[in-house]
Amino acid sequence: MLDPVYTVLSLIIIVPLALFLGVIYSFLIRKLSARFQWRVGPMFRMYSDLKPLLGTTRLLQPLYDILKLYGKETIVPDVSRRRLFVYSPYLSLIFAVTAILFIPFPGMPLLSGVPYSLIIASYLLIASTLFSILGPVASGSPWAAIGARREVELFLVSELGFVLSIFAVAIARQSLVIWDIANGGQSIYLALLTVAAGVLMLVAMLGKLHIKPFDMPEAEAEIVAGPYTEYSGKLLGTYYLTKVFILYGLVALFISLFLPPLATSVLWLPLYLLAALVLVFLLTAVQVLNPRYRIKNAINWYLKVVIPLGILNLIIALAIWLVV
Amino acid sequence: MGIIDKSRIYSPWLYHLHCGGCNGCDIETLAALAPRFDVERFGIQLVPSPRHADILLTTGCVPKQFIPMVKRIYEQVPEPKVVVAVGSCACGGSLFYDDAPDNYAILGHPDLLIPVDVYVPGCAPKPEAVINGVVQGILKLAEKRTKK
Amino acid sequence: MSTEIKILKQVLSKYSKPMTLTYPSTVAPDRRYSQIPEGLRGIPERDNDKCIGCRACYFVCSGRATSIYDKDAKRTVEIFLFRCTFCAHCQEACPEEAIKMTNKFEIAVPDREDPAARVLTDLELLKCKNCGTPFVTKKLADRTYERLMEKIDPIVKETVSTDYKKLDGYCPDCKRAYGVDFDTHTKKYVWLEGI
Repeated sequence: MLDPVYTVLSLIIIVPLALFLGVIYSFLIRKLSARFQWRVGPMFRMYSDLKPLLGTTRLLQPLYDILKLYGKETIVPDVSRRRLFVYSPYLSLIFAVTAILFIPFPGMPLLSGVPYSLIIASYLLIASTLFSILGPVASGSPWAAIGARREVELFLVSELGFVLSIFAVAIARQSLVIWDIANGGQSIYLALLTVAAGVLMLVAMLGKLHIKPFDMPEAEAEIVAGPYTEYSGKLLGTYYLTKVFILYGLVALFISLFLPPLATSVLWLPLYLLAALVLVFLLTAVQVLNPRYRIKNAINWYLKVVIPLGILNLIIALAIWLVV
Repeated sequence: MGIIDKSRIYSPWLYHLHCGGCNGCDIETLAALAPRFDVERFGIQLVPSPRHADILLTTGCVPKQFIPMVKRIYEQVPEPKVVVAVGSCACGGSLFYDDAPDNYAILGHPDLLIPVDVYVPGCAPKPEAVINGVVQGILKLAEKRTKK
Repeated sequence: MSTEIKILKQVLSKYSKPMTLTYPSTVAPDRRYSQIPEGLRGIPERDNDKCIGCRACYFVCSGRATSIYDKDAKRTVEIFLFRCTFCAHCQEACPEEAIKMTNKFEIAVPDREDPAARVLTDLELLKCKNCGTPFVTKKLADRTYERLMEKIDPIVKETVSTDYKKLDGYCPDCKRAYGVDFDTHTKKYVWLEGI
C-alpha cells in the first residue's frame, strides 16, 4: 500500500478516471431523469441519418458541455471584484480535485491512508463549496448574491448532516483514516449504522449536489441561474468541471465509508460500480419525484428531521463503540 | 476538426428571449423543449442566463421600450453565437409593424437591432419548425467556427 | 410521502416507452411528426397559371405580406412569408382560386433574401395601344371579358361585345380622353327596349 511509485502513479491516473466516472454519473442523472419524465434524454446511439453531423453517442454529453464552455468567450463584468471572480472557480476546482485524492478507489488506496484523511477530505470538499459561494458574491450581480445567500444557508444545514454522518461512522469504527474504515469488516450493528448514517449522508449529498428538493441556489425560474448568473465561458466550464469532480468524490466517499470492503481491492470493482449506479439512481429518483423546497422549508426540514437523525446516529455509534 | 469545435455542435445551449408579442410563439417554443420533442436528445438545453447561451431564440416584435434590453442581452451572449428569430413577428414584423406609418410604440422585428442568422416564419410555427430552425442555427454555428 | 409514491407509480407505469418523437431524423417516419390536422394552414401556394394579377389578395392581406410591383411591363405578385400570418384571407378572396394553403411548415431560412421566403408570380402587362403605358395584365383583361360574357343579359350581349372590343387595349386615361372617337354604343335605351 505504501509503495511510493504505485501511489504516485495512481495519483496521476485517478484524476482522468474520476473525470470520466463523474461524467458518466452526471450523464446517468440526466438520462435517468429524462426517462422518468417519459422522454429520451441525451442519446446512447444517435439516429443513423444524423450521425455525421451530431456524433455517434452522447455518453460524454456533460464533458462536451464543459469542453464547449472552454471554447467560448469569457465575459468578466465591470462591477465584479475581478481577482476573486476569476480565481475562485479555479480554486474550487483545485480543492475538489485534491479532495478526490484522499478518497480510495478499488485497487488504488491513493492518499486515503494518511492520518486524519477523513477530516482532510471533508474539509477539502467544504472548501470547494466555499469557493463556489465566494466567486458569485464577487460578481456583483443581485441574482448571484441571492443564490449565494441561499447556498450559504443550505450549506450550513446540509454540512451539519454530512459531518454528523461521517463522524458517526468514524466513532463506531474508531478511526479517522478513510482507508482503515474502508478496510473494516461488517457486523450486524455496523450494518444498522450504515443504513442510518447512509440515509443521512444521502440527504446531505442532495444538499451538496443541489438535487431537486434542495436546488434553490440554482432555481432557474426564480433567480436566473443563481450563483452562476454572471459566469460564462471558461470560468463557468471550471465550475461545471468542479461539480463533476464533487459528484464523483461524494459517491466514492459514500461507498468507501458505508459499504466498507468495496473500495479496497480491484476484485470489488464490479460491485463498486454497481453500488455507484444504485446511488446515482437513488439521487435521480429523489430529483424527479420532488418539487423545489423554499429555503425556509428546507432549513426547517433539516433541523427537524436530519439533525435528530444525526444525533441518533451518534448515539448508535457511541453505543457500538462502548458496548461492542 | 478539434474536439472543442465538435463539442460546440454537440451542446448548443439556448436562451429564450421574449421581446413582446402574443405568446403564441413562446408556447410553441416551449412545446419544442418539452418531452414530446425533447431537444435534450441533441444536447440542447434551455439556460436561464444569456451568459451561458450559444443560441439566442427571439420571439415577437420589439416594442420601443424594449430596445436597450434586446441590445444588452445580445451583447451578453458570449461568442460564437447565433440568433434564431421564431415567428412572423420576429422575422418581418407581421401585423404589428409597417414601414411607412411609423408606430409610436413598436419598433419592429429584432433584425433592425441585432443580426439574425436564421428565420423561422409561421404564426405560430409548429414545434417541428422551431426545431428545424434551431438545427439550421447549429449549422450556422459550425460555419462561424470554421471562419475563425 | 404517499404523494411521492403515487407519482412514482405513475412515472413507472409508462416508463418503458418514451413519448418523444424522432423529429429531425427520418429513421421512423411514422413517429416523425406530431399531429398534422386536416386544415393546418401552412405556406400559401399560388398556381401561376390561374393567377390573373387582380390584386384581391393584396387588399385583404392582414399582415401586409402581399405586395404587387409593376416593372417593365411585368407585374410581380409576391407573398413575403416573413410577414405572413397564415390567416388564409387571400385564399378566400381569390376569385380564381389560385391561392391555396398547403400544410407545409418547415420553412426556416438563413437569409432575408432567400427565395424560399417568398411566393412569387410573374405576369405580363398589357400596353396601351395609344400611349404605350402598361396598365393591366393580359390575363386579367381576358378573364374580365370572359366573365362579362358569361353573366351578361343575352339582349345586350352583342352590343357590349362589340363595344368592348373597340375599347380593348386602351388604358383608362386614353379611354377617357378619346372616348368620343371610339364610337361606342352608350345609349341606355337598348337595354330599356327589352322591357
